[in-house]
Amino acid sequence: MGKTGFNRLGWVFVVLLSFLFLMEGYLSPSPAWAQNTIRFGASLPFTGRESREGRLSRDGMELWRDVVNKKGGIKVGNKSYKVDILFYDDESDPRTTAKLVEKLVTEDNIKFVLGPYGSTPSFAASAITEKYKALIVVGMGSAEAIFERGFKYLFGPLTTASYYLVDSLKLCAAQEPKPETVAIIYKNELFSTQSAEGGKKVAEDLGFKVVYFEKYPPDAKDLSSVISIIRAKNPDIYIVSGHFEDSFLAVKQAKELKLNPKVIIGNVGVATPDFITSLREDAEYVLGPTQWVPNQKTRDHVFGSAEDYTKLYEKTYGYTPDYHSAGQTSAALIFQLAIEKAQSLDVDKVRDAMSALDTDSFFGHIKFNEKGINVAKGMAVLQIQKGKHVPIYPPAVGLGKFIYPKPPWK
Amino acid sequence: MIYQIILNGFLLGGLYAIVAMGFSIVWGVMNVINLAHGAFIMLGAYMTFWFFDLWGIDPFLSIPISMVILFCVGYFIQRNIINLVIRAQVFMVLILTFGLEILIMNLTTVAWTGNYRSVPTPYSGANIEIGPIVIPSVRLAIFLIALIITVGLYFFLGKTRTGNAIKATSLDKEAAQLVGVNIGKMYAITFAIGGALAGAAGSLLAILSAISPYMGGPYTLKAFVICVLGGLGSIIGLIIGGIILGMAESIGTVLLGPGYADAISFVILVIILAIRPEGILGKKFFAEVKH
Repeated sequence: MGKTGFNRLGWVFVVLLSFLFLMEGYLSPSPAWAQNTIRFGASLPFTGRESREGRLSRDGMELWRDVVNKKGGIKVGNKSYKVDILFYDDESDPRTTAKLVEKLVTEDNIKFVLGPYGSTPSFAASAITEKYKALIVVGMGSAEAIFERGFKYLFGPLTTASYYLVDSLKLCAAQEPKPETVAIIYKNELFSTQSAEGGKKVAEDLGFKVVYFEKYPPDAKDLSSVISIIRAKNPDIYIVSGHFEDSFLAVKQAKELKLNPKVIIGNVGVATPDFITSLREDAEYVLGPTQWVPNQKTRDHVFGSAEDYTKLYEKTYGYTPDYHSAGQTSAALIFQLAIEKAQSLDVDKVRDAMSALDTDSFFGHIKFNEKGINVAKGMAVLQIQKGKHVPIYPPAVGLGKFIYPKPPWK
Repeated sequence: MIYQIILNGFLLGGLYAIVAMGFSIVWGVMNVINLAHGAFIMLGAYMTFWFFDLWGIDPFLSIPISMVILFCVGYFIQRNIINLVIRAQVFMVLILTFGLEILIMNLTTVAWTGNYRSVPTPYSGANIEIGPIVIPSVRLAIFLIALIITVGLYFFLGKTRTGNAIKATSLDKEAAQLVGVNIGKMYAITFAIGGALAGAAGSLLAILSAISPYMGGPYTLKAFVICVLGGLGSIIGLIIGGIILGMAESIGTVLLGPGYADAISFVILVIILAIRPEGILGKKFFAEVKH
């Protein structure tokens, strides 16, 4: 009896495997690349945990590709080049990202790589591109650690993790009466830890007293005990540094347990539309930093202003872009600006032009420091008011008024 | 504050018990470690979400519906998939259920995207305040439902014909067959009950947390710890195991900091395995070692 079971399963395996092999051949890129095309490559999570962000990334990159091609391509000398992007699915696994980026560079012979989604895959991917002297712009990698290895062929448009909470805390420090105490909890992983540590340092520099500073496990599904401890300390500012699920849980359980600070800040996730639809009125008055808002005043010659970009994006995909898509678009745009500046497709020349960029874009100002981090763009701060994201900082972007202190839970 | 922490641990424990229940019965009766348990929980949560989103059905009312749907899903999966390898080595079953989990999660992602969903009810966040203690009403209700389901399952296994047949199957397959129990059917029903219980757990979690295709995984791990803690095959043991784990995590959060919550549960697991491998209330009953 046991044997039959095995055989049947064996058959299922054989069929599945052969199917996969067939698919592999089917999905492989066609070898016919036009001569006057600049080829880019990206490994993104289309399946698995981060498939949503993978989709947003791809939409952002493809928007750039289509706009550039529609405008006749990138001009180098007298020649116009079309652009194309080869995508691979890394299944939300950073090890796969590294392998696929190696494939992009060595087998597909692509020298311009657009970053994957997230800090850990960006860390892995840039190690590979550096090894082969291929150029990478990580549109969605914001942990400092990515840039701390002295790499020459690596750039990132995002504000890095340690600076995430700076602007929100500056805004709080300017309020009357000034809040005094801060409690910070953070997810035990690279990005969230660096953000929290950066936040703690700034909070202390600004004269706040940090009354609680603790990490929790990455897959925590319940924060009730942490919140009970924080409630006993009664902080004025309550910060959670994690991802969407963490901000969601931290706000929801704060209400359940009647934690009533004057300000609630969620480091990541608050800026997404899902946050408002998921929490409805409980999301009101929560603050969140964001890499980009469509109210940005700066502009570039490809997309125009952030507002133009948003309109075009909405028209193309039927939903509003957030910084995920915009960041990935900006990574591609940075390549274009650098190639135009270098007037060459040589990797080293493009690299030098990129490191010398000092220009505006729909994503904000772009100027890299010696590590490849974009230091010219700060974070904007949003507050949720009447079911909408209202930008309240910096003053150049801010249109709304900061509602402070947050009214207690009803 | 200490009362608040104990209360938190208690309420969390009830939730953990219901999360582990379906996993425990499948493991205990069929000797199948169902790694797809978390995926079933996730499906239960999605059922509740869709019933709420499309027809405005209150999440508490959708619990029986998601239980029935996942009962059918469980029955189908056992009959047509797990049954293929039930007599093969234990590793085959592990690999199969692991694969099932990945398959279900990815199908969910394809069908409903990876966007976060939730069930925002008007009463979410409601609480009862007694002196310094805040009791979240929804969590209290969930604790009570977990108790009701536990008691229900206890009586089902102890008092009904089918329940007794399941018990008999788990005790001694051959003897059960001799007295006319249809083993294949009992396995399918057991797996279906496991699915239904996961569905109930999912519906309850939908009220508490954000719903996404990947929400279930960590719960499979918790279920594993609780089963070992409480003792396989003991329904009451699950409640106790769940509460011990919930308490340990809450109190550990205060004493050692929240960063050690996972470490605490595994230290307890190791201690229990070392001093009382059959679990706190485990008997040589469901979980008789079967090689």
